[in-house]
Amino acid sequence: MDMKKLVFLWLLGWQTYLWSQGAEQLIPSQAVTVFSINNTDLLQKISIDEWITYDFMEEIHQELFDKSTENKTVKDAGLDFDQRLSLFYGKTPYYEVTGFTFGIKDKNALFKVFDDFENMPSPYEGVNIYQSLFNNLLIEKNKGLLIRVEPVEVFLNQQTDSLWYSRGNLSPFYAMDEDQFMDEEELVVEDAQKNLLEKNYYELRDSLQFEFQKKYYHDVLNGLLKQRKSLYSNDSVFRELLTHPSAGVFYMDNSRNIDRAKNLWYLKTVLPTLYLDVQELYDGNIITGDLILQESSVQFNLNARYSEALGSIYNEMNHAKFDPNIAPYIRSNQPAYFTYNINLRSAYEKAYDVLVPILSKAKDPEISFNLLLLKLGNALVNKDAVFDAYKGSLFMTFNGIQKVKTRKITFFYDEQTFEYGEKETEAEEDMPIFTLGFTTKRNDLPEMVLEHFSQVTSKFENKGDYWVYNKAIFDAAPVFLINTKGMFILTNDQDLAENHRDGYGKEALSKRMLKTLKKSGTMAGFANLQQVAQKFPSDFLDPSQQQLMEFLRNKTGSVTLKSGETTTHSTSVTLNYSFNDTEKSGKHFLDLLNTLYLLTK
Amino acid sequence: MKKILFLLIVPALMLSSCIEIIDDLSLNLDGSGTFKYTVNLSSSKVKVNSILALDSFNGKKVPKIEEIESKINQFRELLTLEKGIKSVQTEFNKVDFIAKITVDFSSLEDLQAGIKSVLTQLDSSIKYSEDDTAWITWDHKSLKRMIPQLVEERIKNETQSDQALLNTGSYTCISRLPKAIQNTSNSACKLNPTKTAAMLRVNTLDLKLNPSLLEHTLTLSP
Repeated sequence: MDMKKLVFLWLLGWQTYLWSQGAEQLIPSQAVTVFSINNTDLLQKISIDEWITYDFMEEIHQELFDKSTENKTVKDAGLDFDQRLSLFYGKTPYYEVTGFTFGIKDKNALFKVFDDFENMPSPYEGVNIYQSLFNNLLIEKNKGLLIRVEPVEVFLNQQTDSLWYSRGNLSPFYAMDEDQFMDEEELVVEDAQKNLLEKNYYELRDSLQFEFQKKYYHDVLNGLLKQRKSLYSNDSVFRELLTHPSAGVFYMDNSRNIDRAKNLWYLKTVLPTLYLDVQELYDGNIITGDLILQESSVQFNLNARYSEALGSIYNEMNHAKFDPNIAPYIRSNQPAYFTYNINLRSAYEKAYDVLVPILSKAKDPEISFNLLLLKLGNALVNKDAVFDAYKGSLFMTFNGIQKVKTRKITFFYDEQTFEYGEKETEAEEDMPIFTLGFTTKRNDLPEMVLEHFSQVTSKFENKGDYWVYNKAIFDAAPVFLINTKGMFILTNDQDLAENHRDGYGKEALSKRMLKTLKKSGTMAGFANLQQVAQKFPSDFLDPSQQQLMEFLRNKTGSVTLKSGETTTHSTSVTLNYSFNDTEKSGKHFLDLLNTLYLLTK
Repeated sequence: MKKILFLLIVPALMLSSCIEIIDDLSLNLDGSGTFKYTVNLSSSKVKVNSILALDSFNGKKVPKIEEIESKINQFRELLTLEKGIKSVQTEFNKVDFIAKITVDFSSLEDLQAGIKSVLTQLDSSIKYSEDDTAWITWDHKSLKRMIPQLVEERIKNETQSDQALLNTGSYTCISRLPKAIQNTSNSACKLNPTKTAAMLRVNTLDLKLNPSLLEHTLTLSP
């Protein structure tokens, strides 16, 4: 073989290698969370109009909400389903980056859908850049990246304030309040006196936003396309994850996501004031997951990796057996329940051993004082009493909506004069019914506290076998406190307090379910999606939770959760979403993906 | 003021709750009189309290209870300064969520102009035009009443209400007149035995579907 042939074959090989690299290589290194979907026939059949109803498609809604998508499937949009479709999100203290990566099979077809994009000059070799009003589309060979970079609002406001006040301006809000009390003439005079070239607060903010957007967009792209640093090249865990054959994978680097970490609550439980001081524990805390599409279910296998220090605490925490006292208080037809079972004492002792050396290194006086309190607490407090009072096992149930008795004021009328007066009468209002129960070896302690409260306020009433805290919820509805047989239960379920203080008997969980719970390790849960979503009063949730509830409302099926093996390096959790209509399994897959997206957003 | 209306009216309607409104007018022969307006949300206090515990609700900021009290006080102070308004008293029961306002006025024109003026001062987004229909008209022979425009708009714009339970709310319109009432244009209107007072009660769901249910003219005996 002569040299020319060799060079040709090498070039051909290199070209093939470059083209065969997946679009996920265009995910910037700043991405903290990634959902990546594999090619499946099921997903290709879903229409674009259906895809864009999902919240995870929010970023490109603006591009797709027009006639260009009518009656088209994702396959018709020119996407290459031999490559993964990945959506990513990342946040630094200064900016947020969101976007999609995807493979491209037919560029013409793609631009029939993305029909609002204009070609822009590109400083990056081999990369074409297109921009629309909202998004940036970058195409490198057969790979596409749709990306948006926005400055973080808090940072932007800080910068705007700093510049605004350094120019000698008063508070913009103060000025706006003043305007309300000025008449039309005064406002005209004030406007005439203004220097039109001087920006007001919001114009200044807009300008800064534009500049920061431009700067951080270039920073992200330079890193990705000039220095060739992507999440794929930087993180071996992410690279390994993409080799999984499952229908979808999930990645979250919690060590870069510490302020949004939603699993810090357990540490708060163990050491409430110190959890923020222990960020170094989170080194290597990466959560990955596989979404496995089956005939009538989608299984989500989650694996959390962590540092040895954090892992040793988890490991001790998991040395706990399921408390059988809990089982009688969960009905077999409960719309939703959750059990949590840890060995709090072992976890505390391990956390103490791990944290004290970490905190001792800190020079910060506040941390040092917290450390002193921790050491004093450890030396002086009767730990047997503390951990007998709360061992670490609890359960929560959602019992649907019930009418609860409240008091209301009504007006009564004198038929002779139509004069009216107020009278207090009984009323009924719909209320979600929750129960929260802890296992305890020290039933005497809650009893002592309740006795004390009942002497201080008449709102606490001893009913013999249980207590009532009247008007506890919003000064209207009661809470019942049941202190019995190794359990302390708080509930607004009158039926439980009056008729089921010893549990639900035959209506409680079956032996088979109980066996599953015992095997589930630290966490186990169940939710009948339709019952929960329909019965839960979503009006009282915040907008993102409302969005999730609204989304779940039309779903059928159930979700079960159980934790798996825990080692000093990782722990696993399995979430299974089963459904009845198997012909729509692709759609159910996207449903679950969307739910996870909303939960991690 | 919109915040107050939002808190006092919208959640009650939207959350399938019960609201009781009493619109009570006493008129003297010279056209002066006393106007009392009461909004009672006590049968929905769990829900109102739940909303107050939130920062925002349906994309709108939820006011703190102190802000509501302050707005009510501001409303009273501004209305006292209006032409023809003799005295204004307000009362806010923040445990049961009952708000009351009592206004003594020289004429119905002054009363309505005063209220419109204060509402626009408190919230510049509320617009009234010159030809807006007055919700109470009096010509010394007859009294014509209808639902106030702002309340009507609020009720009409509400689309998510649970209609079955909305049915339990009520709007009661009471008119006390200086002479006997000869007849009333609305057969649902009840007269007291001396025929000097009339009461018309409409449930909030019916009112939402047909705001004209509250319209009535009371003609006095010559």
